[in-house]
Amino acid sequence: MNPIVEIRKLSKVYAQGEIQVTALDNIDLDITPSDFLTLMGPSGSGKSTLLHIIAGIDRQSSGICKVQGIDLQGLNESALADWRNQNVGFIFQSFNLIPVLSAYENVELPLLLTRLGRPERRKLVQTALELVGLEDRAGHLPKQLSGGQEQRVAIARALVTDPALVVADEPTGNLDSESAQQVLEILQSLSRDAGKTVIMVTHDPRAAAFGNRTIHLEKGRFAEPSTSEAKA
Amino acid sequence: MTTTTFIIRNALRNKRRAFLSAMSVAVSLFLFVTLQVALRELTIPPEDIGASLRIAVRNKVSLAQPLPVRQLQVIEKIPGVAAVTPFSYFGGLFRNESFTTFAQFAVNPNRFTNVFVEAKASSEHLQAWIKNRGSCLVGLDTMERYDLKVGDRMLLTGTLYPADLDMKIVGTYQGTLDDRSVFFHHTYLDELTDDPGTVGTWWVRAASAEVAPQVIQSINSAFENTSSEVRAESERAFQMGFVSMWGNIKMLIDSICSAIVFTLLLVSVSTMSMAIRERFRELAILKAIGFRRNELLSFILAESLLLSLLGAVMGAGGAAWIFHYIDIQALSGGMFVYFEVTERMLGSAFLIAMVLGVLSGVVPGLSVCRMSVVDGLKTLD
Repeated sequence: MNPIVEIRKLSKVYAQGEIQVTALDNIDLDITPSDFLTLMGPSGSGKSTLLHIIAGIDRQSSGICKVQGIDLQGLNESALADWRNQNVGFIFQSFNLIPVLSAYENVELPLLLTRLGRPERRKLVQTALELVGLEDRAGHLPKQLSGGQEQRVAIARALVTDPALVVADEPTGNLDSESAQQVLEILQSLSRDAGKTVIMVTHDPRAAAFGNRTIHLEKGRFAEPSTSEAKA
Repeated sequence: MTTTTFIIRNALRNKRRAFLSAMSVAVSLFLFVTLQVALRELTIPPEDIGASLRIAVRNKVSLAQPLPVRQLQVIEKIPGVAAVTPFSYFGGLFRNESFTTFAQFAVNPNRFTNVFVEAKASSEHLQAWIKNRGSCLVGLDTMERYDLKVGDRMLLTGTLYPADLDMKIVGTYQGTLDDRSVFFHHTYLDELTDDPGTVGTWWVRAASAEVAPQVIQSINSAFENTSSEVRAESERAFQMGFVSMWGNIKMLIDSICSAIVFTLLLVSVSTMSMAIRERFRELAILKAIGFRRNELLSFILAESLLLSLLGAVMGAGGAAWIFHYIDIQALSGGMFVYFEVTERMLGSAFLIAMVLGVLSGVVPGLSVCRMSVVDGLKTLD
């Protein structure tokens, strides 16, 4: 099976004045479709940077990153934005829902960029909310939802355009254990049952256990898991 | 949800700030429109129908200097002169008022209506006025304002002349741009002041607009090198002479208006920038979801325009509505007769609001466009 993500000799260097900081150092990576890949590592290891490049919200300094056969470096800003809308679902640690929109409207946001009419949008939004078990909270504002519910709305928003790729950056970082469990089970289900490729950055080995593959990064390179992480 | 709904929700997410932003625009544009109307009323006085034919003749040295009565015979004989009347401003105080709220003029009643043709009075009132040397004709606005009726006494305390007037109101007139004035017999004033030989000004009606310039020149020439040289000028030029006493008021008011607009721009840009800065992370999420730079810029500009146009409706629209209904004469102590907000002024105000909205939004909008998604996501709430 062709990998959904192909990375070859990828590097990302940040210039901070005269100092150059290497966030990713010449890495190679293949991700198989339907994988639930977790990226782990200490702060500053480059895991979020790698996630951002794969998701098309950051660009590498050198190397190749192909997603579904498309070299993202070759897309201009507008094309990249369109590509993200159709192919990537985002889930962030801070939920990042729009506070003035209801749960329904937050989930509907990505669909405003499509040519779908209101009835079709309604159907997709309702399906996405049902998938995360929040169809009865559609009219609630984010401030009227619990943290776990907000994150599930964010997941629904990430899924509403039926993307092939779902990226999650510390999705359980702000949740209690019960809510975190619910979210991780949903992500696992997306990979196992819906065939989506899920890439998740996490510090938590218990969260990483939900994935079928874990990669450790350290100082911008792939590393073996540390002894402490193996025990956890 | 539609894009429009999304923009409106964002514009009103902080209702207090949205209200204050719109109010700042509203108050500023209200002031701007008010100043523009005042400037127009001060510098471009309205013209009566017969104004194009009327000529004011005053002492060349100063308006305060009188003219000899004997000039009447000379003026009447000048080709192109259709009618002439003496016209002396009395400037008296009515009742207990401390300033003059309506003008009073001593004229020749037999000649008055031939010069001021737009002043309409019934023949009964005119005849009563002509026959009674101690009578006066009062403008309808003054009659209504002071609840006067025909037969009442008009008592005026002299300020310019050493005499008080005690007259009977025998009639009323209307149809001029300023139906407030009181007209009475010049002979009555002459008797009270014991000065039958002078008048304040002459007012002349030319036979036609074509001959009016020639009449003006002839009148000026007729009294050149005499003891009482005159300045004859059109009614418009005479009115503008009063305006020029204000100095360069146009520049003053335009400068104030410019300062208002500039200050408003600074406040609007600052407010909008703060509002957008608070939402950098949200806007980064929208970018991540797939919204393009130009779309986000459009959202921000639309939001900014919405608030500024709302302010324009409240401010400029409010000014037009208020000035349409209030009694500006009473409010301004008689300084203004009309105070109409024209469509052009409204258009200018709305144009300013639109430009303001665009400029206020484009500054933070470009910041959002330049911002990378990653940097935006790092923004603290």
